[in-house]
Amino acid sequence: MDTLFFKAALVAYLAATVGYLVSLVARRVVLAKVATWILGFAVALHTVHFLFVFTERGINVAVNLFEAMSFFAWIVSGAYLAVQFRTRTRVLGAIVSPFAVLLMMLSSLGLEGTLVIPDALQGKLVPIHVTLSILGEGLFALASLAGVMYCIQDRQIRQRKMGALARYLPSLGDLDNINHAGLLWGFPILTLGLIVGSLWARTAWGGSDWPMDPKSVWSFAVWCFYAFLLHQRLAIGWKGKKIAVLSIVALVVMITAFIGVSFLSSVHKFT
Amino acid sequence: MNIILVGMNHKTAPLEIRERLSFACGDDVRPLEEILRAPAVREALYLSTCNRVEVLARAESMEEAIARVKEFILRHGNLDTSELEKCLYVYCGSDAVRHLFRVASSLDSMVMGEPQILGQMKEAYRDCLEQKSSGIILNKLIHHAFRAAKRVRTETAIASNAVSVSFAAVEMAKKVLGSLEGKSVLLVGAGEMSELAARHLLSNGVGRLIVVNRTYSRAVQVAEEFQGIPAGFDMLEEKLREADIVISSTGAAGHIITPAMIHAALRRRKNRLLFLIDIAVPRDVDPEVGRIDNVYLFNIDDLQGVVDENLRNRLKEAEKAEGIVGEEVLKFAEWYNTLEVVPTIVSLREKVESIMRAEMEKSGSWLKTLGEEDRKNVEIMTTQIINKILHDPVTGLKEESQSNGAMPYVAAIRKLFRLGSEGD
Repeated sequence: MDTLFFKAALVAYLAATVGYLVSLVARRVVLAKVATWILGFAVALHTVHFLFVFTERGINVAVNLFEAMSFFAWIVSGAYLAVQFRTRTRVLGAIVSPFAVLLMMLSSLGLEGTLVIPDALQGKLVPIHVTLSILGEGLFALASLAGVMYCIQDRQIRQRKMGALARYLPSLGDLDNINHAGLLWGFPILTLGLIVGSLWARTAWGGSDWPMDPKSVWSFAVWCFYAFLLHQRLAIGWKGKKIAVLSIVALVVMITAFIGVSFLSSVHKFT
Repeated sequence: MNIILVGMNHKTAPLEIRERLSFACGDDVRPLEEILRAPAVREALYLSTCNRVEVLARAESMEEAIARVKEFILRHGNLDTSELEKCLYVYCGSDAVRHLFRVASSLDSMVMGEPQILGQMKEAYRDCLEQKSSGIILNKLIHHAFRAAKRVRTETAIASNAVSVSFAAVEMAKKVLGSLEGKSVLLVGAGEMSELAARHLLSNGVGRLIVVNRTYSRAVQVAEEFQGIPAGFDMLEEKLREADIVISSTGAAGHIITPAMIHAALRRRKNRLLFLIDIAVPRDVDPEVGRIDNVYLFNIDDLQGVVDENLRNRLKEAEKAEGIVGEEVLKFAEWYNTLEVVPTIVSLREKVESIMRAEMEKSGSWLKTLGEEDRKNVEIMTTQIINKILHDPVTGLKEESQSNGAMPYVAAIRKLFRLGSEGD
C-alpha cells in the first residue's frame, strides 16, 4: 500500500515538473499555478505514503539512503509550498519540482529492497537525528535553489534582457527573502539534528573514533559552510548575488556529503 | 447580416477633423436620436473618443443607412464630401462585427492593448440603453464585443506590460524589489516624468516618499503634493541609506550620485537591494554605480528599451488576439444566422404540440379507463414521436441558416404547415 502511494507521488511530482517546464517554455505564470496545485497533490500523496510507513514501523521513516532521499524530496517540496503560499513566487517550483523528481527517482531504486537497519543505527535518537537533519538540509536546499534562480534573474536584469523569461521569473527581492528564510530556519534545525546525532554517537558508538567517520566530518563541514553563510548574511549583511552564488556552492557540497559519502562510510552508512 | 459600422479613427482622420466632430456632438446634439430618425436605421450605437468616432447600426436597408450616417457625420463635422470620403471607413455585415470586436479588444487603439477604450465603449452603451436605441441584436452584439475583449485580455498578454517609460520604471522596480508594499522612494530633483513615476509607485503600495532638491522650497512644494518628506540637498547621502528606490532627475552638469556614495550607503543599509532610475540628461548617476552588487541602475534609454520590448511583445500577442476575435465573430454570426429560423422553429413546435394536446383531450374518455401509469406512458410516447419527427427538419433549418440562407425553407415550412406569416 505504501509503495503504491510512493509511486503515485512520484508520478504527481513528475506531472508537476512537466507543468512547470511547459509554463517555462510558454512563459505563462498561469500554467505554473496549475503545476503548483499538482505539486501540492504530490506532497499530499507522499504524506499518505509516510503515514503508512509510520503506522508500520513508527518514527523510523527514513532509515536508508533511498528513504532519506524520498524524505528529502518531501521536505523540500513541502517547504517550498509553504514559502510560495506567502510570497507567491510560483515559478520557483520550476526548479524545486525537478529536484524532487530526481530525488524520488533515485529513491525508487531502493523501493523493493529489503529493510536492514544496521545495529549501529538502532536507537531512539536516530530517527530524531535523521528527521531534523534532513529537515534542516531540505530548507538549505530550498535556499540554494532560490539562489540559482536569483543568479539567472540577476543576469537577465543586468543585461537588460527584459524579455519573457525575466518577466516570468520571480523578483530578486522575493528570491532573496526565500534564501534568507531557508538559511534562518534550516540552520537551527540542522544544528539540533547534529547535536542529537553526536549525543547518540557518543553513547552508542562510544569512545573517540566517531568524529573521524567521513560522513560526520562532511556533515560538520556542510554545517560550517552554512553557519558561515548565515553569519555573513545576518551580521555582515551580505545579500543578493554573493549569497546566492555561495548557496549554490553549499548545495553541491551538501549533496556530495549526502550521497557520495554514504558509499565511503562504514558505520554511519545507511544500508 | 444587416449590420453596418461607419467611422473614423486616428489612422484615417487627422486630429483636427476628429476634434470637430466630437465637439459638434457635444451637449446640445443627441447623435443617437438623430441617427435613429432615419427610417432605415433600427438600432444604433454612437461611440466618440479622442481617437475615434464610430457609428454602429442595424439597418433595414444597408445602403440607405450608410448614406444617412455619412450625411450625419458630414453635417456635424462641417466637412466636404471628398474630405469625408478620405477619412471614413465603412464596414458591413461580419466585417462590421469584426471591427467592433477589434475596437473593444483595443487592437485598433493608438497604443495597442491599453484598456481605456473598453470603458468608453461601456459608457457609449449606457447612453444607448438610456435612449433605448438598442434592441435584441445590438444588445447581443455589444455584449459579445465585451466578451471578446475580456477573452483577449485574459488569454493573451497584450495588456500585461508597461508601454510608457514611467510605468516601465514601476515594472522594473517590482522585478527587482518584489512587492513595493512598505518600500520608500527618494526623488532627487523634480520633473514631470519623475513625478509621474512617483505617482505610479505610490499607487503601487510604496509607503514613504522623500524629496531632495537643490532649492529647498521646491522640495517642500513637491513633498506636499505627495505627502512626502522634504530634505535639503546636503542630506542626499544620508537619504540614500533609507531609500529602496531612487529617481534622479536634476539638471546638474556632472554626476551627483557616485560609486563612493553608493558604497558608503550600502554598508550602512546592510546591502539591502537598491534600485536607481536616472532620468536626467546629462546623467545624474555615474554609470559605474550599475556594476555594484545589489544595486540596479536604469537610465532613460534602458527604460525606453523595456518599453520597446513590451511593445514588440504586444505585437506578437496581437496575432493571438486577432485569432480570438475571429472566433468570436464566427460565434456571433452563428447566433445571428439562426435568428431568421428561430421564430419558424418555435411556431412549428407550438403547432405540433397543440395538435397533440387537442388529440389527447379528444381521447380523454378512453384514456381515463387506463391506469395512472399507462396514461403517463401514452403521454411520453406521443411526446417522443413529436420530438423525433421534428428533429430532422429543425436541425436541417439550423444548418441551412449557417450556410446558404434558409429563407426558401422557412417559406416552404410556413406554407406547408400553414404557420401564417411571421409576427402573427
